[in-house]
Amino acid sequence: MKFAKLIRRNLFRNKLRAIMTILLLAVIFFFVATLLAILDNFESFSNAGEGANRLVVQSAISLANLLPYAHEQKIRAIPGVVDTAKLQWIGAYYKEKSNFFANFAVDVDKFPTVFDDYKVSPQDLAAFQADRRGALVGTDLMKRFNWKVGDRITLKGQIFPFDPELTIRGTYVHPVQTTSVFFPMEYFQQSIGNQGQVGTFWVKVADPKQMAAISQQIDAMFKNSDFPTETFTEKEFQQNFMSMMGNVKLLFTAVSTCAIFMVVLLAAITMSMSARERVTEIAVLKAIGFEQRLVLAIMLTEFILLTAIGGAIGSYGAHFLFMSFDAGKATQGFLQNLGVHAKTLTICMATAVGVGLIAGGFPALRASNLRVVDGLRRVV
Amino acid sequence: MDTLVDINNVRKVYKRDAFEVPVLNGVTLAVPRGDFLALMGPSGSGKTTLLNLMAGIDRPTGGSISVDGKEISRFSETQLASWRSRHVGFIFQMYNLIPVLNAFENVELPLLLTKLSKKERREHVQAALEIVGLGDRAFHYPRQLSGGQEQRVAIARAIVTDPTLLVADEPTGDLDAKNAQETLDLLQRLNHDFAKTIVMVTHDPKAAQHAKRTLHLEKGLLVEGSYGVETAANA
Repeated sequence: MKFAKLIRRNLFRNKLRAIMTILLLAVIFFFVATLLAILDNFESFSNAGEGANRLVVQSAISLANLLPYAHEQKIRAIPGVVDTAKLQWIGAYYKEKSNFFANFAVDVDKFPTVFDDYKVSPQDLAAFQADRRGALVGTDLMKRFNWKVGDRITLKGQIFPFDPELTIRGTYVHPVQTTSVFFPMEYFQQSIGNQGQVGTFWVKVADPKQMAAISQQIDAMFKNSDFPTETFTEKEFQQNFMSMMGNVKLLFTAVSTCAIFMVVLLAAITMSMSARERVTEIAVLKAIGFEQRLVLAIMLTEFILLTAIGGAIGSYGAHFLFMSFDAGKATQGFLQNLGVHAKTLTICMATAVGVGLIAGGFPALRASNLRVVDGLRRVV
Repeated sequence: MDTLVDINNVRKVYKRDAFEVPVLNGVTLAVPRGDFLALMGPSGSGKTTLLNLMAGIDRPTGGSISVDGKEISRFSETQLASWRSRHVGFIFQMYNLIPVLNAFENVELPLLLTKLSKKERREHVQAALEIVGLGDRAFHYPRQLSGGQEQRVAIARAIVTDPTLLVADEPTGDLDAKNAQETLDLLQRLNHDFAKTIVMVTHDPKAAQHAKRTLHLEKGLLVEGSYGVETAANA
């Protein structure tokens, strides 16, 4: 602590350079924190049904192809299957296209058994099940549009020729899926002419160890039918859904790594300049008795502080920005609940310290190894 | 007389690429405690090298150097740093104050290496600044001081730990006549009133006149001596 003043003053000895370097670091760490937050968001989405023991059955041809209702009875008859529910992604929006969120038609009577991780009060569930046009809405979506239970809302369909006109009958609580709307499958089917087909069956399985076997059994059962199936765990299904965008994780990781590499180089240039400008001062410190290790520690602390300040401004800036900003709305529903969480903040801060160590390590080591007479060669 | 610095047959050779450049060629010298010694000589004669060696910031190629009974030429780098912090005060031609610290903080720097409390450090710094006549400039930064004042702050920094030996390399080399005179008077007072042993390198015969005695170096040898001095030729 005795040297804190010396470190602090040296840190800002060239104010313009220090501020520009910190700003540069902040911008890059903001960018990295945002990319990591998006990846985290995808990961959460992929893990949404983890532990729920659910399988998702879709057409083997593509998710856009529908499956006949008749499949459901056969799936339900497989030993180890607790229950099944039909689920259809509707893809409608509210008032404007930017107000996009997940909305599904679902078998309301099966909802409590198959989607038992969605917590609904008994009163809300009863009201939802009793109303042919009732809607069950995630709590965050209710807040986003200031909706109240009892409100009537109309969604605009894009995939099907159908504009759901719904009355909010209740809300659900879920750790990840907080911005979805569920409404009765019956209403959807009647509105589009009762075709007897649906996009997916969601299958609740009693024992998670049996999920792989049941998955294979389902696909084998329909292999030679007109409507072959492909069955996934819920996590695999969500990951497949995300992979339709390409290998986003690889892309984001590569971009983040490039950004960090760039910042290491830029920080190294700044720190080398800073150390070189102070050769004589470092020699004076060593002459009056500062040991090599102490000089190294003082300089490294200074360089790490520089990158840590930049990293903190950037990553905490992203954290507070996404706390006060509806990314779901800005991205037309693509990124729901985007946030820079503790894990991402920790990664960013550890990276910032690492950047300081790597970029500042060499200049600090070189300065601490400086021979006093070389540093003072024109003076003493 | 009590010898503080005892230099015995010291040689120093610098390596420049494939060449070896001899700078000191077997210097033997004794500096008594309380002495004020001026080292003079042409550029390249080895006077600064000799000063560096007795201050423990460079190592001899041969021979031995003892200060206050300790053979510093055998110390490791870490031991030397620790020894310098307690026993040597440096005064440089270009003052070499840390520009981001004010006068008080510059003078306090060597004390940060001691176990003194903050209060004790403050008292020592104030006393040192009073001695050099800059008690009222404690919170001025180097850029806010004149050259003479900067050099006096540097002297305060050199004496704040009450070192055994003060080394000064061209302490008036960057000062005008008036400030040079003030600086030399101050060094003389430190030697006379506070019994500080001072070794000063200078080109200026007028500056050397403030010392108790003057030695001349030429081509790495002491060529002119007085009390307590032996040259390589007559050693």
